[in-house]
Amino acid sequence: MDILLKENWIKLPQKNGDPPHLLGGRCQVCGFCCFPYRFACSKCRRDDSMQEVALGPRARLETFALMQVGPPDIPTPYIMAYVRTKEGALIFTLVTGCEVREDAVHLGQEMELVLEKIKEDENGNNLIGWKFRPVAGGPQ
Amino acid sequence: MSRLARDVCLIGVGMHKFGKFMDKGLKELTRVAVWNAIRDAGLNPQQIQAAYFANVLGGLTTGQEAIRGHIFLREAGFERIPIVNVEGACASGTMALREAMLAVASGLYDVVLAAGAEKLYLDDTARSIQAMATNTDIETMGGMGFQFTGAYAMSLKKYMKNYGWTREHFAKVAAKNKYNGSLNPNAQYQKPLSVQEILDSRMVAWPLSLYMCSTMADGAAAAIVCAKELAGGLGQKPAINIAACALQSGLVSPDDDGQKSVAQEAYEMAGLGPLDIELAEVHDAMAPGEMFRLVNLGICGPEEVADLVDGEHFSLAGPLPVNTSGGLAARGHPIGATGLAQVSELVWQMRAEAGPRQVRGRKAAYPRVGLAQNSGGYLEGSPAALSVTILTR
Repeated sequence: MDILLKENWIKLPQKNGDPPHLLGGRCQVCGFCCFPYRFACSKCRRDDSMQEVALGPRARLETFALMQVGPPDIPTPYIMAYVRTKEGALIFTLVTGCEVREDAVHLGQEMELVLEKIKEDENGNNLIGWKFRPVAGGPQ
Repeated sequence: MSRLARDVCLIGVGMHKFGKFMDKGLKELTRVAVWNAIRDAGLNPQQIQAAYFANVLGGLTTGQEAIRGHIFLREAGFERIPIVNVEGACASGTMALREAMLAVASGLYDVVLAAGAEKLYLDDTARSIQAMATNTDIETMGGMGFQFTGAYAMSLKKYMKNYGWTREHFAKVAAKNKYNGSLNPNAQYQKPLSVQEILDSRMVAWPLSLYMCSTMADGAAAAIVCAKELAGGLGQKPAINIAACALQSGLVSPDDDGQKSVAQEAYEMAGLGPLDIELAEVHDAMAPGEMFRLVNLGICGPEEVADLVDGEHFSLAGPLPVNTSGGLAARGHPIGATGLAQVSELVWQMRAEAGPRQVRGRKAAYPRVGLAQNSGGYLEGSPAALSVTILTR
């Protein structure tokens, strides 16, 4: 069975063909943007300015690491990364949809959000969460 | 300049050797480090009026979640005095030191103990790895595949792209630190390794190979903090001044690793600048991290640090020795003890007690200004806790 991790942080496609989005927060005063949503802005330290915003599905690959060792529940090798959305939110993510090689992705590359299995729980259920993959045919 | 109400110094430091001690628990590790510090100071232990105890993962690794300092320090002979438990991931040791400094500076106490201990080697390695993941936000990172080796790899990759840093530079830093560690009886890894051996070791997260990285470790470290005006009468050795101990929390996605601001605070508190530093211990859980720490401390620019590495600028005989203890990757990184181990190394060097790894100062046979940089945890692109300590003699 598939179980969506952090369903409050994810906006599922409204209809077939729509992309998923992540639900972040944006400060209406300073523009600070974060994922996931938080109620107070840590840049201007106020609790009346954050508005929910749908992030993605596109983001730029900020940096990444090809991991040959990892936690027991994530199969190796894998690529972990930071991506930055156009709104400025920095998101930690696993990379999918490409070969697991150092030269399969590069800094600054355009990526897109997908919902995929992250790991399994103790009952063998697939835990589904956010990952990013290189945009096919997108600008390099 | 310093805004402390009175001057504070270190009169004793001590460690339990870092390493793998399957038959030792946190009680023994703590006791040995604390009493080594007491003996180092030559202090009557009755004089210690309060204690700050740093430990990060004891709850998860041993099951002892609450009152860890009270339990481990009672085994070391302490009751009645206030004991405060301190946690800030890998920066915990410096946090304990800073609280001890503030307690003495306030005038409430004259002599305070700061101690840190960690036990990461368990029969169950998976439990240690999962415990380490809690040094991040487990909801957004720790449970999603984040690893600290990867965090360093991600940072280094940006410098490689922008400033031409290479794996050879990284291996040279690691080889330098392995050599330093080989001269340190308290170090976890005491075998010198060649640049080629380091380059050829198993890849962990490109550009990082195994011998560039710290591993699990057990160990403890302690320091005795004292009012400067009383140090002459209480301690037996030259007092080393805490000129600054600055602590900040990370920012969301800074343009550096978050270190510049806390370094600036420390320099201002000490009334010193990066060019005054004669000796540094920096937080290099993966040895090449030493390079960007030095950049963010303002000691050198990102475009010049690689040449300085090639020129052995940071070696024991170089103009600015860095990580003379071996650093985190060679001395070892039992995370709650690391900050106090850095400070112990500075004190030994500044008293000219560091034996075969002793370095010279610019104006004396020993360095008179030492800096320790220690950071802890990871959140949204930068360490969660950032600290810089400056000691003077």
